Amino acid sequence: MTRHEFSIEHALTEFSTRRHFLQNGSLGLAGLWMGSMAGNRSVLGSEETVAHALQQPHFAPRAKRVIFLHMAGGPSPLELFDYKPELQKLDGKDCPESFLEGKRFAFIQGVPKMLGPQFPFQQCGDSGAWVSDRLPHFQSVVDKVCFVKSMHTSQFNHGPAQLLLHTGNQNLGAASFGAWATYGLGSESENLPGFIVLVSGGKTPSAGKSVWGSGFLPSMYQGVQCRSAGDPVLYLSNPDGVSRQQRRRALDALQRLNQKTFQQTGDPEVLTRISQYEMAFRMQTSATDAFDLAKETAETHEEYGTEPGKESFANNCLLARRLAERGVRFIQLFHWGWDSHGAGAAEALNNGFSDRCREVDRPMTALLADLERRGLLEDTLVIWGGEFGRTPMRENRGGKEMQLIGRDHNPGAFTMWIAGGGIRPGMTYGASDEMGYEAVENPVSAHDLHATLLHTLGIDHKRLTYFYQGLHQRLSNVTQPSRVIEEILV
Amino acid sequence: MGSDRPPSASLTNRPLGRSHFGGKIVAPVALLAALLIVPPAAGAEDQAIDFSRDVRPILNKYCTSCHGGVKQAGDVSFVHANQVLPPEGWVVEPGDAEASLLIERIKTEDPDERMPPPDEHPDPLSAEEIAVLERWINQGAAWSNSWALEPLRKADAEGTSAGTESPSIDRYVREKWSGHELQGSPAAPPQQWLRRASLDLIGLPPTLEQTRAFVDSVAQASSEQQRDAIYATKVDELLASNHFGERWASVWMDLARYADSKGFEKDPHRDMWPYRDWLIRAFNADMPYDEFTVKQLAGDLLPDATAADIIATAFHRNTQTNTEGGTDDEEFRVAAIVDRVNTTWTVWQATTMGCVQCHSHPYDAIKNEEFYVSMALFDNSLDADLPDDYPFIKVPSSEADLEQAVAAQRTLDELRLQRNQIGYQQANAVTWTPIQADSAASSSGRLKVVEDTVRVAGGTYPIGVQYTVEASAQTMTGLRIEIFPEFDDPLKLPAHGAVLSHLQVHLVDKDGQATAVELADVFADSISGASQPRDALNDSSGGVGEYPKLNAVRTACFVLKTAVEPKPGDRLRLTMAQKESTAGSLATPIRKFRWSVSDDAALIELENNSELETIDARLKNVQDEVAKIQGAALPVIQSRPDDAKRLTRRFVRGNWMERGELVQPDVPQMFRSSESGDRIQDRLQFASWLVSKENPLTARVWANRIWSQLFGSGLVVTLEDFGSSGQQPTHRELLDFLAYRLREDHRWHLKPFLKEVVLSATYRQTNHASPQHQANDPANRWLARGPRTRLTAEMVRDQALTASGLLSPAIGGPSVMPPQPDGIWQTVYSGSTWETATDDKRYRRALYTYWRRTSPYPSFLTFDSPTRDLCVARRIATNTPLQALVTLNDPVYVECAAALADRAIEQHPQSIDQAIGWMYQTVLGLEADADDANELRSLYNDLGAASPLADSESSDQQPHPEDASEATLDRQAMAIVASTILNLDLALTK
Repeated sequence: MTRHEFSIEHALTEFSTRRHFLQNGSLGLAGLWMGSMAGNRSVLGSEETVAHALQQPHFAPRAKRVIFLHMAGGPSPLELFDYKPELQKLDGKDCPESFLEGKRFAFIQGVPKMLGPQFPFQQCGDSGAWVSDRLPHFQSVVDKVCFVKSMHTSQFNHGPAQLLLHTGNQNLGAASFGAWATYGLGSESENLPGFIVLVSGGKTPSAGKSVWGSGFLPSMYQGVQCRSAGDPVLYLSNPDGVSRQQRRRALDALQRLNQKTFQQTGDPEVLTRISQYEMAFRMQTSATDAFDLAKETAETHEEYGTEPGKESFANNCLLARRLAERGVRFIQLFHWGWDSHGAGAAEALNNGFSDRCREVDRPMTALLADLERRGLLEDTLVIWGGEFGRTPMRENRGGKEMQLIGRDHNPGAFTMWIAGGGIRPGMTYGASDEMGYEAVENPVSAHDLHATLLHTLGIDHKRLTYFYQGLHQRLSNVTQPSRVIEEILV
Repeated sequence: MGSDRPPSASLTNRPLGRSHFGGKIVAPVALLAALLIVPPAAGAEDQAIDFSRDVRPILNKYCTSCHGGVKQAGDVSFVHANQVLPPEGWVVEPGDAEASLLIERIKTEDPDERMPPPDEHPDPLSAEEIAVLERWINQGAAWSNSWALEPLRKADAEGTSAGTESPSIDRYVREKWSGHELQGSPAAPPQQWLRRASLDLIGLPPTLEQTRAFVDSVAQASSEQQRDAIYATKVDELLASNHFGERWASVWMDLARYADSKGFEKDPHRDMWPYRDWLIRAFNADMPYDEFTVKQLAGDLLPDATAADIIATAFHRNTQTNTEGGTDDEEFRVAAIVDRVNTTWTVWQATTMGCVQCHSHPYDAIKNEEFYVSMALFDNSLDADLPDDYPFIKVPSSEADLEQAVAAQRTLDELRLQRNQIGYQQANAVTWTPIQADSAASSSGRLKVVEDTVRVAGGTYPIGVQYTVEASAQTMTGLRIEIFPEFDDPLKLPAHGAVLSHLQVHLVDKDGQATAVELADVFADSISGASQPRDALNDSSGGVGEYPKLNAVRTACFVLKTAVEPKPGDRLRLTMAQKESTAGSLATPIRKFRWSVSDDAALIELENNSELETIDARLKNVQDEVAKIQGAALPVIQSRPDDAKRLTRRFVRGNWMERGELVQPDVPQMFRSSESGDRIQDRLQFASWLVSKENPLTARVWANRIWSQLFGSGLVVTLEDFGSSGQQPTHRELLDFLAYRLREDHRWHLKPFLKEVVLSATYRQTNHASPQHQANDPANRWLARGPRTRLTAEMVRDQALTASGLLSPAIGGPSVMPPQPDGIWQTVYSGSTWETATDDKRYRRALYTYWRRTSPYPSFLTFDSPTRDLCVARRIATNTPLQALVTLNDPVYVECAAALADRAIEQHPQSIDQAIGWMYQTVLGLEADADDANELRSLYNDLGAASPLADSESSDQQPHPEDASEATLDRQAMAIVASTILNLDLALTK
């Protein structure tokens, strides 16, 4: 444990800065503060610090920021990236008993039928990656990404699986990836939250807001859910009838009055509060500007398929690029509707699934190309994937053949892709078995993924910790092994 | 302690860490304070070493990560005395540090030998730390419990460093000042104390009138005694307020993880508010903490439990229920039980039991299996993650009907169990002969006959699957089914649920003509759910077996209406429909079963059993009565009946799917004193033990928690952890004094305890920090000044509502939906909507706000409310720009500011200055001084000028009139001034 790295000096440095601030009586530095924990923080025994960020990364980072495109519900790799001709041969046949022994399923019962790939695949780009015809745009950028086809998880229900992927723990209460990243590195933006969440259609994923929560970390590290329609940040706009000048004037008065309170009470939290109000004031313009898609060109809108004013994944992708440009550390997008059971048309493979593909294909392709053009892809990690995969068996909910075609949850194997930020492009890592049922070659767990992604951010996943419940908690989990997947790093 | 470098060496311009929003990570000021805590042992050579205070922290810092509860490298663990001290231990020779291996290995220059190993731990022990260990050994190496487990003793007036002064809060606080170069502060002005005490005690600020009256009466006091009496009267008044219960209920609701929804995916509604109202009543009635504890943990087991006692058990039904389709009910039942164990130990014992789920505690002497021993106390409850939250009670909306309604429901439960028990005992006592089936078919999937059992043999068994079993008919008066788990290994239990929903019996003659055999009654070996055995005679999905999981072999006896005398060649046909399913449409077919028959006439006679007839008559009446009860369906804790008791097994490495040996309920040995008696076997014994004199931790933890509410931080900062991994108390004697006072002198009553604290000179100090205070105790750990803390999320709302005059005084009732931004509630697969209240429900206190776990009220989260997914013992107050946006722009606060301004204008229609002064005093309880008044007045003037309306409407008017008529008072500018006042640091702190 290199606990001394997470040093107490932060506290002292901050204290000296406050002193400095006080002496200068200037508010010039105000914007540099963004969060303060008033009062008291846990200290292990008597020496351990907690409220540390890393003063600097553990090693040179390849990525400075993250855009995580989460496809809630578990998109079927068997219809997108993980081409399984052998499965096609078994289509319609009874599932072998060996596939069922010792397995738990959400809905499959008894002996289901095997289900072959529902759409044609083709090899794309120089890398020859297989992509189905559902993602025609994406086929053009496969050489920019690294496919990890051997993802696996221990969870077969949405809520727990999403929590595991985003917080490293299937139970509630742990901190999300974005919270860890901002806790460790802070933000590069002085005017925007460091961890912003955008949700297609505003729908919260199955695991609720805990997937971007701060868990045991202080609440200021939690993701700030922004909206692409209305106020991007809750309560951002001045109330009706209050102009920006009036607000400025009121904040001037507030600042002077609070300054006096500080002089009387000597409570440094007052200074923090003054600076937070100033930051809030700046955020009103900077966030509004960041979320103003009307400032983009017609070509860009065409490329992404965006329609300003609408809550869509496309809009969120374009916003993600705008936020990345502005130094936001962690941008988390949630798209939903990928739960292709076949129980309802909106999510069935032979129905709504194609809509989902259309919704994401153009914007995610545009995002990669756009980031690259602007020189941002090299230090921006882009991650795409769901919380688990889908069974090579056709779902038979209630033990009956269903009218629509669908697949049940499969924790055994799924595909994610990662691009930019020090990840080797144009490669495929790991493989599932011939049926796409289990990860058989180089399996990658959520914890391995966390370790690897933190690595690209310059963080040793074993050394970014937070003391809670008697343990030095970390994103990559303390009880199960996890490793950095060196093979996919540049 | 702390950094290895002296603090001053670090006061340099290092690159700054960056926080969430791009700013610096702000200093946790407490950290500085921690640096200032010098271990007493670092002083004089001959000073007695206290193991728990001086030695254990050093061992935890350097040794236990390898030699602890988890890893025990070289079989040495510094968690257990017997692995350190003779006769079994070999690393310490009491009385002889020189001869102790521990010291030798720490001091050696040989890098291969040195502990801790230099390659992993570059920093060796400091000379001071080594000296402490040496002195400890030379003084005899006394090992002791954690300080927190030492018995509570009455504080002495004598024999302390303060001489013969009688023990008091103030004495213990004062004792610490000289060591930290601090001097106490003068008493706070009366209005500062009143605001603090009022917010602390009832969660609401005083009104302007209350403040004025109080300040005046204090000013008029002719003696110190008289003044003290005025303070005491004021405290009594606050403690008698009905709002007292609301304030302290909201503290407890974080611990109880109170929410109005079930959690997880769809996060559906749950009627939990009767429990919240129980809390409010309990606090208002000043229910002693021992009763308060026992009722919440075991109210259902109390003899003559009242309706309120049953409601109190909902404490542990605040665990989440997963209604997501396809989830394993056992997995989430177990998750809820684990949560109950962790929550109980966090709330009452500040012990991190969660650590022990997978392995022995890394720092404290709690063994892995003791988690399961503790879990066994909670494991035997009826709830099983069912979507309807069974078991629940209907709580009628009328208070007057409550006792009767709950009694009726309890009676109904007792009667149905009683009826079944009587019947089953008699039915099962007759001789049963297994049937050898000669065919067994299923409407879907295959069955096979193995000797006298029938088993599934592959395929799919959908919901509604129907088995048909045939055998040669024989004389019979009853049929009995035994439903087996599909496997024999008890470690794999529980098995899939297995329910026989509907049994039909036919005699089939040689020509294939089937005659129905009439069934009179059904009795089962146990009832562990909502359905009745007799449901197996109708078309409902319920019946016999067990659902959602099969915990053991389940047996049910079907009694025939009349004895069957088959003709030769007649065949018996049993048609078994299975319609039950779990939340994920997962069928619950029986995987293995055996039928038996009996020809004992006693079965037929059961229909005329007078005992059963009496019960049936009563049942009918009670059922009718219960059916009429309207009201909230509150989930409660109810134990499984003895005949369905769950067996608890250890989970191997914490994995609930991998079960180990059986365990018996108890508490970890570390918490039992050596003289303590029998094993603790049920929740009632457990709860009683928690609040018994044998347990010193409960009083310490509760006293510390109350203290932290008043002072912003506990005497033990880690409210959630009093173990070795938590912090040491800053004032151990004070904490012990408080704990003893609370338990023994105040007999667990909160109100007199609070009175003592808020009237102490310590609490009454001004919260202004002198340069000396700022330099020597920035975080106010030594309390040489009064507390200055940010309002809680609840207080921020309640204060704005109070000041604006909008607050609804109503207490209790279903949760309400004040305005929140559109689109917050968009949870997948859920049609629930937020229906913003338009009546006075819009202005209820914060604790009544509807709490949906997956999407809590956003402005509360911003002010550090936990999500209430899990028990949270300590909120960490942050200070962020998002908070500023809430109190500046959230329509709730805009509405409050406007209402405050309107009230001010109404009160002082003629004077802008007076109106502003009135608002200032209403919010802060303070009169604005001239500077502040001028500042706000000039703000008002400038706002008017900057107003969009200014050009058109007031350009011809005198711009800044000294006095104005109502018509010219600018409501909008006044509202902005009101908002500014509500956003003052003074307003956001107490």
